[in-house]
Amino acid sequence: MTDLLANLALGFGVALSLQNVGLAFVGCMVGTLIGVLPGVGPIATITMLLPITFGLPPVGALILLAGIYYGAQYGGSTTAILVNIPGEVTSVVTTLDGHQMARQGRAGAALGVAALGSFFAGCFSTLVVAGLAVPLTRLAMVFGPAEYAALMLAGLAFAVVLARGSVLKSIAMILLGLLLSTVGTDLETGVDRMTFGLPALSDGLEFAVLAMGLFGFAEVLRNLEATETRDVVQAPIGRVWPTRQELLQSAGPVARGSLVGAALGILPGNGAVLGPFASYALEKRLAKDPSRFGRGAIEGVAGPEAANNAGAQTSFIPLLTLGIPPNAVMALMVGAMTIHGIVPGPLVMSRNPALFWGLIASMWIGNLMLLVINLPLVGLWVRFLRVPYRLMFPAILLFCCIGIYSVNNSPSDVLLTGGCALLGYAAGKVGLEGAPLLLGMVLGRLFEENLRRALAIARGDPWAILQRPITAGLVLAALLVLTAAILPAVRRGREEIFTE
Amino acid sequence: MTRGEGNAPRIRAPQDLLAGLALLVLALLAFWASRALPAGRLGAPGPGFLPRVMAAGLGLTGLALAVLSFLRAGEALGRFTLRGPLLVLLAVAGFALTIRAPGLLVAGPLVVVVGGAASPESRPRELVIFAVIITLACAGLFRYALHLPIPVLVIPGLVNL
Amino acid sequence: MRMLPALAACLALALPAGPSRADWPERNITMLVPFAAGGPTDVVARIVAENMSRTLGQQVIIENVAGAGGTTGITRAAQAAPDGYAIMMGHMGTHGAAPAVYPGLKYDPTKDFAPVGLVAGTPIVIVARKNFPAKDLKEFMAYVKANGPKLNEAHAGVGSVSFTTCSLLNSILGVNPTRVVYRGTGPALNDIVSGQVDYMCDQIVNLVPQIEAGTIKAYAVAIPARSPAIPEVPTTKEAGLPEFQVSAWNAIFAPKGTPPEIVAKLNGALVKALEDPTTRKRFLDLGADLSDTASRTPQGLQKLVESEVARWNKVLKGTGQAAQ
Repeated sequence: MTDLLANLALGFGVALSLQNVGLAFVGCMVGTLIGVLPGVGPIATITMLLPITFGLPPVGALILLAGIYYGAQYGGSTTAILVNIPGEVTSVVTTLDGHQMARQGRAGAALGVAALGSFFAGCFSTLVVAGLAVPLTRLAMVFGPAEYAALMLAGLAFAVVLARGSVLKSIAMILLGLLLSTVGTDLETGVDRMTFGLPALSDGLEFAVLAMGLFGFAEVLRNLEATETRDVVQAPIGRVWPTRQELLQSAGPVARGSLVGAALGILPGNGAVLGPFASYALEKRLAKDPSRFGRGAIEGVAGPEAANNAGAQTSFIPLLTLGIPPNAVMALMVGAMTIHGIVPGPLVMSRNPALFWGLIASMWIGNLMLLVINLPLVGLWVRFLRVPYRLMFPAILLFCCIGIYSVNNSPSDVLLTGGCALLGYAAGKVGLEGAPLLLGMVLGRLFEENLRRALAIARGDPWAILQRPITAGLVLAALLVLTAAILPAVRRGREEIFTE
Repeated sequence: MTRGEGNAPRIRAPQDLLAGLALLVLALLAFWASRALPAGRLGAPGPGFLPRVMAAGLGLTGLALAVLSFLRAGEALGRFTLRGPLLVLLAVAGFALTIRAPGLLVAGPLVVVVGGAASPESRPRELVIFAVIITLACAGLFRYALHLPIPVLVIPGLVNL
Repeated sequence: MRMLPALAACLALALPAGPSRADWPERNITMLVPFAAGGPTDVVARIVAENMSRTLGQQVIIENVAGAGGTTGITRAAQAAPDGYAIMMGHMGTHGAAPAVYPGLKYDPTKDFAPVGLVAGTPIVIVARKNFPAKDLKEFMAYVKANGPKLNEAHAGVGSVSFTTCSLLNSILGVNPTRVVYRGTGPALNDIVSGQVDYMCDQIVNLVPQIEAGTIKAYAVAIPARSPAIPEVPTTKEAGLPEFQVSAWNAIFAPKGTPPEIVAKLNGALVKALEDPTTRKRFLDLGADLSDTASRTPQGLQKLVESEVARWNKVLKGTGQAAQ
């Protein structure tokens, strides 16, 4: 314990230097801005700003880049709430209730709860990273391909719960998402799958393309039609801050979300992606009135946002303790560290304690800064919604187009987004939702790869895989969640048919 | 169960029927697209395994939806408007075609003006002025502040911003 | 109206006829890296680009275009205008093994480029999980030969360096292990560290920290002399497998038709960067190999490319491990 305190003292000593505090601030500001801009993600920004960090000392450079990373997570939630565009995979869930809250004039409350929830989750996970990094890494080592496949299966079961409407349609969209995740070059054999010979598709469908098409553009199309019911602008802004009752309602979800997010973030291989979805499913299950979810339930924002931020912090653990990056952004951090002469690995903690603990301390400072930066901004964002829609939506179109183009410098991505927009619009007309599709797409790739990997290692014997305890447990959990979601719907459906 | 004229079964949930049929079509498309891929077997799935299983699942759900649309009540189809989607699509396509060559200074106003025209409330002069201002702001923000390699103005042989 | 053609002719004459070679570079140069940012090739590119920027007086900006083992980015870069403002970082995969791995490849590494120079080699190391039952390379070879199909070999995807180099190793040893694919070396390395899979051949850059910390076992490094970054690991020649000599080299190329004066300037900046002590130290700390100075000239690089294409053609076509 005293070791921990001594280390934290060292860390804060490093992180509280004027330069490092300034860098944390700049990083968080830039990151929030990046997150708000659709399409432009932390990867593109960190890549672009990497050369600028060459003149900085290594700790400072990392603090700056890390700030951009979690700033972007938060900014992505802002757009998800305000204009229904998920900036990152982790913000998809926030669109469900967050945007509904915005339509009801409660954007301020949603943004406020998201900020506060994220801050709490950030504090919690920083402690987790500081105190439990090494033992947790060892725990994470237990997760092999079989466990991941089972985890993704559980995640897909959660996706069914996300549905606002018909369970059958939700399942259909998840299956469609899984199908779309197979488009592209097969990792194992190198053959092109379902690309119809188009080279633009041979690297698969980009998440940003689908997210922006299905959510952003399709939403614009829907709003253009429903000029009478479009109330994002007309609704009285009302209270900008969450009410006391809303804060109380959010306390539980935030606590649970932090735990869930922190736990999933540790898993290398992008486990952090699941955090918000798991939290949403959990809250929906625990709520006294689940039908509020999808219509502006504040728990549906508080929990996932906390999980989101918790996962973002704990996903640094595999990087810091093993030197193995769990996702693309962390891989960039590895690159940045390498360029600055620090080769990340298991020995960084002992060889370079100032760096290790300074980064951890700076995480907490970054969280504080995000709160300081974003709470006042809530008022600004809410006022931004008053811009006349006839001007706002072309601006959204432009920002999205630039954002999509900047992901791969590819005009065909922009065209694909347009196509997805039409599909999203048509899908909305028949009651099919986008969120389960996106989740299916993200999890589908992870699920299939890990399943095939697990089967290869198990020499084609599925039973050998199910005999592993964690795998069996997760598969069971998935089946339970699925049954719990489907049974009531089946019962209701039967009643509907027979009471005729 | 009431029946319409001519004894045809009544569609109680038009949205569900359309959704189900669309999903069925997508499933068949997926089957066709993955016809050449080796499927392997359960223990050693090939590249075609998951696509086909998912397509099968999708087809079944689509079928179920279509069948159920005759059995239980659902929502009717809304109107499909043409102007909005068409103009937005044109705007986006225009951006895609002009971003590499003339660059943002042309693609930006194109998207804003054509897309903006999709709204019945648009005011032309205001839109054009807004288009210019916001394009310049974006150029400054994305290109110069964030250093993203967005072509601002590219005339082959002459200018390359 | 009759003036118009004359006016047009005057304007056409007044416009520059082509890239003004004497003043190159007059603006920023883009170096396309056909892999994701943060990976070994990207890191090598950024280190060298930073130094070259100072010599050339213009920024060398890195652009990442990942996909299909690097061939997506190289295909695009090969079609860029040959005016010296768009160059690329290719490597053993994109300019050596690609023709054998990708039958539909849209470029010819030996003909469609103007080679500038070799940057660095990244030696390949044979590594295994910590508790793999072999003390050294000889025991490793015996164990693998005896247990071939029962073993799991990790690689980062068809066309990746870990795939092609382990194909070579497997064909030399005459074994057929189960090849488990990962999306990138990070996840593959993770599973080696956690013991889920058995062995891997990968670039030294990714492995040095793990070897130092003892989380994985390193049996041999596949270059003529030991790497200063991991001096206790023997060479394949010392340890008993001299035929396995592989270094995943990284080199700079320009599109075909780039004027020789511009290529010479690029090459000059590159050589200067590679002789700068700070840059050298950064490379050597990573385990990169700067010894092959012969391939640092455009002609030397062209020879390297030609010999590598021939070599990988033999290895990969022979074992039938090419992508369909």
